[in-house]
Amino acid sequence: MYQHFAVGLILVLGLGATEYLTAAEPVASKGELLFALRVKPLLAQKCFACHGSQPDDLQGALDLTSRAAMLRGGESGAVVLKPGKPAASLLYTAAARISADYQMPPKENDALTEQQAKWLHDWIQAGAPWPGDDRLASIQNVSANELDAGVQVPTSGGLSDEWTQRRYAAADLWAYQPVRKPQAPVKIRATDGAHPIDAFIDKHLVDIGAPPAPRADRRMLLRRATFDLLGLPPSPLELDAFVHDPAPDEEAFAKVADRLLASPHYGEQWGRHWLDVARYADTAGLANDFERPNAWRYRDYVVRAFNDDKPYDQFIREQIAGDEIDPANPEMLIAVGLLRMGPWEQTGMSVARLTRQQFLDDVTDAVGQVFLAQPLQCCRCHDHKFDPIPTRDYYAFQAVFATTQFAERDAPFLPHENLGPIADDQGRLNQRIAHYEDELRRIAAKEEQAARQWYAERNLEYTPRNQLVKRGVPEEKIAPRHIGLTTEDFGLERVARKNLARHTWELDRYRPIAYSVYTGRTPTLSNVQSRLHMPSDPAKEGTWEATAILAGGDAFSATTPVTPGVLSCLATPRAEISEAPHGRRLALARWIADPRNPLTARVLVNRVWQHHFGQALAGNPNNFGATGKKPTHPELLDYLAATFMEQGWSIKKLHRLIMTSQAYQRSSQHPHMAAVSQKDPDKTAYAYFPMRRLSAEELRDAMLAASDELNRTVGGAPIRPDMNLEAALQPRQIMGTYAPAYQPSALPEQRNRRSIYAMRIRGLADPFLEVFNQPSSEKSCEIRDASTVATQAFALLNGEETYDRALAMAGSVLRENLNDRDAISLAFRRTLSREPTPEERDTCLAHWQRMTARHEQLEFLPQNSPKEVVRHAIEEMNGEPFTFIEKLEVYEDYVPDTKPWSVDSRTRGLAEVCLVLFNTNEFIYVP
Amino acid sequence: MNPANQTWLRREFLYGAGTTLGSIALSALLARETPAKTTATGPLSPKPGHFPARAKSCIFLLMEGGPSHIDTFDPKPKLHELHLQEFTRSGEDKSAMESGKRYFVESPFKFRKAGACGADMAENWQHLAEVADELCFYRGCQAESVNHPTALYHLNTGNRFGGDPAIGSWVTYGLGSENQDLPGFIVLPELAYPQGGAANWSNGFLPAHFQGTPLRPQGSPILDLQPPAGITREHQRENLDLLATLNRRHEEQYPWNDELGARVENYERAFRMQMQAPGIFDISSEDARTLDRYGVGAEPTDAFARRCLLARRLVERGVRFVQVYAGTWDSHDYIHRAHTALMKAVDRPLAALVQDLKQRGLLDETLLVWCGEFGRSPDNGVRGGVAYGRDHNAKAMTIWLAGGGVKAGHTVGATDELGAEAVEIVHPMRDLHVTLLRLLGLDDNRLTYFHGGRFKQLSQFGGKPIVELIA
Repeated sequence: MYQHFAVGLILVLGLGATEYLTAAEPVASKGELLFALRVKPLLAQKCFACHGSQPDDLQGALDLTSRAAMLRGGESGAVVLKPGKPAASLLYTAAARISADYQMPPKENDALTEQQAKWLHDWIQAGAPWPGDDRLASIQNVSANELDAGVQVPTSGGLSDEWTQRRYAAADLWAYQPVRKPQAPVKIRATDGAHPIDAFIDKHLVDIGAPPAPRADRRMLLRRATFDLLGLPPSPLELDAFVHDPAPDEEAFAKVADRLLASPHYGEQWGRHWLDVARYADTAGLANDFERPNAWRYRDYVVRAFNDDKPYDQFIREQIAGDEIDPANPEMLIAVGLLRMGPWEQTGMSVARLTRQQFLDDVTDAVGQVFLAQPLQCCRCHDHKFDPIPTRDYYAFQAVFATTQFAERDAPFLPHENLGPIADDQGRLNQRIAHYEDELRRIAAKEEQAARQWYAERNLEYTPRNQLVKRGVPEEKIAPRHIGLTTEDFGLERVARKNLARHTWELDRYRPIAYSVYTGRTPTLSNVQSRLHMPSDPAKEGTWEATAILAGGDAFSATTPVTPGVLSCLATPRAEISEAPHGRRLALARWIADPRNPLTARVLVNRVWQHHFGQALAGNPNNFGATGKKPTHPELLDYLAATFMEQGWSIKKLHRLIMTSQAYQRSSQHPHMAAVSQKDPDKTAYAYFPMRRLSAEELRDAMLAASDELNRTVGGAPIRPDMNLEAALQPRQIMGTYAPAYQPSALPEQRNRRSIYAMRIRGLADPFLEVFNQPSSEKSCEIRDASTVATQAFALLNGEETYDRALAMAGSVLRENLNDRDAISLAFRRTLSREPTPEERDTCLAHWQRMTARHEQLEFLPQNSPKEVVRHAIEEMNGEPFTFIEKLEVYEDYVPDTKPWSVDSRTRGLAEVCLVLFNTNEFIYVP
Repeated sequence: MNPANQTWLRREFLYGAGTTLGSIALSALLARETPAKTTATGPLSPKPGHFPARAKSCIFLLMEGGPSHIDTFDPKPKLHELHLQEFTRSGEDKSAMESGKRYFVESPFKFRKAGACGADMAENWQHLAEVADELCFYRGCQAESVNHPTALYHLNTGNRFGGDPAIGSWVTYGLGSENQDLPGFIVLPELAYPQGGAANWSNGFLPAHFQGTPLRPQGSPILDLQPPAGITREHQRENLDLLATLNRRHEEQYPWNDELGARVENYERAFRMQMQAPGIFDISSEDARTLDRYGVGAEPTDAFARRCLLARRLVERGVRFVQVYAGTWDSHDYIHRAHTALMKAVDRPLAALVQDLKQRGLLDETLLVWCGEFGRSPDNGVRGGVAYGRDHNAKAMTIWLAGGGVKAGHTVGATDELGAEAVEIVHPMRDLHVTLLRLLGLDDNRLTYFHGGRFKQLSQFGGKPIVELIA
């Protein structure tokens, strides 16, 4: 049915018809045509900014706006234009980047395409004709279709006519074309898969002459699918069940896929992928890095959405406009948390208008990237350089959010929300608050006492300073500020005051509120360090924000007003967004989730493919524009997008479709790798399954699973895993003071939960997760880096957290009462999902023995956890050092994980084997 | 029995303490190690730049918090006349900090002309004045944000909101590093990390090889650099040998996968770094005269002196980019006390660093940059009474450069008569970035990385070199 949708773009393609200019004028020559239709617009776009538009500021004294000026050249004296001789013309050689020494335009992003350089070349070759303005205009008018001039795209209009009439290479507009469901190619060989995905993949393999790899063995397949869908290794029991399932391979595997898709841990793994894109964190970042009240409820909403297979179109609408859809439903208020996920704060040093604009810019760009794979920030200051998106559209899109306001709204906790972890810290938080209140009282009393003495010495009556200042008493008759206080007191006062504000706000995490938005007037916000309440009448206080194009993106340079709108380059679907304050976001969300929107479904299926195969079909999942990587299998992408919508936007059905293909079930090894590598150097043909490295979270979770320490409870307020102690206690500055120390959750079962539940603190990444490339959450992350760096070896081989896992795993294996050989087997099965080879078993047994002997020589004395940390700080006010002690309350009743002093040397010896297994390539790469 | 561990948590050594790291069996063990191979293909192997480099490496001295140009290098006698004169500022474009009743504050510091070049310097710069002729002062740079983290991100990464690669990441991405056994971009923070945290030295979207590695001044310089107490190198060697055995079988199954081999080699590289780094980080091997000259072991210079001396040791060993923090210069109140203490803490080490580099013939090939994330205002707000301090000011600041390619002995640009705003040779921060890259032999327009569908660059969208700063 998708073939019948209206054409998304009006394509003005060159028709190649030859027309006459006017009766009196001669027909334009090839060179003139080239100049009028190609070279002149190219010069205007690429060169005139520095070589023409501003005669007073010509770079290199070179003017390129006339033929005479070109012939004259610039101050370097080089020949810029030699008609008939492109190779001797700097205009061509610099623009074609022939020499590394002199390249124009200087920026990579502005570099000419090969085709554009050829236009210059051919024009110069043709003698560089430069018709007068009138003739130029008439050639441009009459012969616009003469050459294959590219495609014009109607939009709401750019800041200049030149931009509005710009032409695009048709290939760059692929993503804006309607989704049409292609016919799957016909089988070529008998062995080709009947599965539609295989039809597309295998057709391409035949085209390039690369044979597919054989089917993966069951062990490999189970490990692949379990990590893929759950982010966890298969248990030895699951392994046995699958390996010994008498059902045929494909049938047995289909059952596995169903089992995994039904697991509550599926939503944790795929929700985590979404949180990368959504730039999720539990804190606000920037100067104060305040904890955000109940941001975790959004995280769990996402996990639930995946587990429940919430139709994706609904998922879109809820995250953009849930509060407008049903404000009485807490789930809807939680869902729109997405809009506020970016780093944001407002302090006494912030200009309210700028922080407001910062939110608007963030949300505009984020919604563009997340749902439409269209980064919009480029259009904040100018019309898009590569895509048909004018600045006007950027601000029209932004106007949708002009009535969106922040609030932590009342939203009762839901029966399926896990409230367990919330209660864990309340006592400690109150303890801290009481402590800082005491501190402030003590310091105030000290100051007052010194002030009293000061007044007594002068026979004056003691009066609090602020009262005297208010009365206009001259400074010399008032006791000096901070009288009687030492540098230490200054410092402590500041630490206490700032922390008190911080922790008091943190009490909000015990309240049933959602980190949410509402529609209303823009209030005047000053220093925000407590809950933003929903006003009783959102239309009362503040201003109805009007949106205008901001010159240069500057919040104080409003120019042309705009009304709310969507991307005008997409002819279909159209969205009429009313100027009324309410319903703007819902209208936008409906436009995005409209099955006729050519971007939305493609974007999602591309992301899903990416996480199954470790690489996307279109290589920039957040950018489908001209400069993003083009899809390697465009027809397959469209087939998946169309099917996805036909199947009710069901992501689980999409998983099934992908996982039942042979492409997914292929071995990651290939018997003819040399030949395949030659045919498929970019590794995008899927002749074999691409191996991938575990993500940071998968790695930590897999170790916890192998050591049998993992608490698999789903959801709830963030937990705090053990963090490298030095990093945890690392002092870090926040506004005017120092951030509280990181303290782990007190009990192993509280903290040894899946990594998705670990508190994401923008200002303090967990070094273990960070070193394995967990992205920072400042921006939407489309794909994770997986580079190998030395610090990974330190974390995994030397790190206390890894060693704790190895000790726990050794203990847990030994508790099974197996003989030594079977103990090694179990260790292999838990980590690598396979039995050791006989040689491996012997080597490991020998290692265990040697290490046990070594450990018998070592004594590990119990190490007490630190109860406090001494901070050396510089007092901001006077630049002098001071010291203070921060109590670490958690360690009062902290229970450590397995430690070397709590187990015998045989366990420690086996732990060395486990540690090595955690470090193997086989453990960390999914086959 | 060997009571292995009083400090299971972490071993103490380091450039902070300068004590022994079991240097005992070190030489014996070294004999067993493979020497560092400078593989021509590694991501950090040295690469040619775009221009002939004027400097090979960079030491970036970041005076976090925003030092007051008016009280250090840019005297404003006019403020003497205006001292304590009140005025009111308001406007939608002003923060609460800048608004309301305000008064001018004269500098409590005396100035004098230093060096043959006659550079303006507060008298507090006793030692730095001796090297005035090596420095190039720049008064024309303007930042954009008056908030610490956003201004720091802007200075460090070109992007006020963070998430982009730091300048040190860009430089090592462009040039690689001379020493393959150390990170190419090293950060020497204060005990406390600056506002905005580690995102200040993030690799952003560049591969993780180019991430800034902080050397923590206390405890383990690099987290987990050493194995847990009790685990000797022989012990670890045995583990690594078992690891190699287990990896070998797997590698044979995937002979075409380079990543696997790279990861195997990575363990050996880490093992070498674990061995060599502590010696490099331990400044106690420097002679007493050098330690004394920097101010190591004396207060208030000790902490910053150690970082400066270590910075020299690192560039000497081929580290490409070293960033050194000192702070906090955020003196809203009591500027006299605060800036006196701060200048005293850095004056001697800074001078020693310049002189030391020069004597070793390294100054010509090292670029030194001294700056904060912004300057300070000539006026202050009334907060519970009068305090002689200064607020943040993005429109004016003083930066100085020294070393390779820098026009030493010059003062470039100027601020208005109050020091409120730069008025001559004014450039935005991105032009400073372009200039620093240029001095290191890199062209900002060509030092690009394709990410998220476009070529990204440090200056975000291009800039101009500040030619007046270049010799």
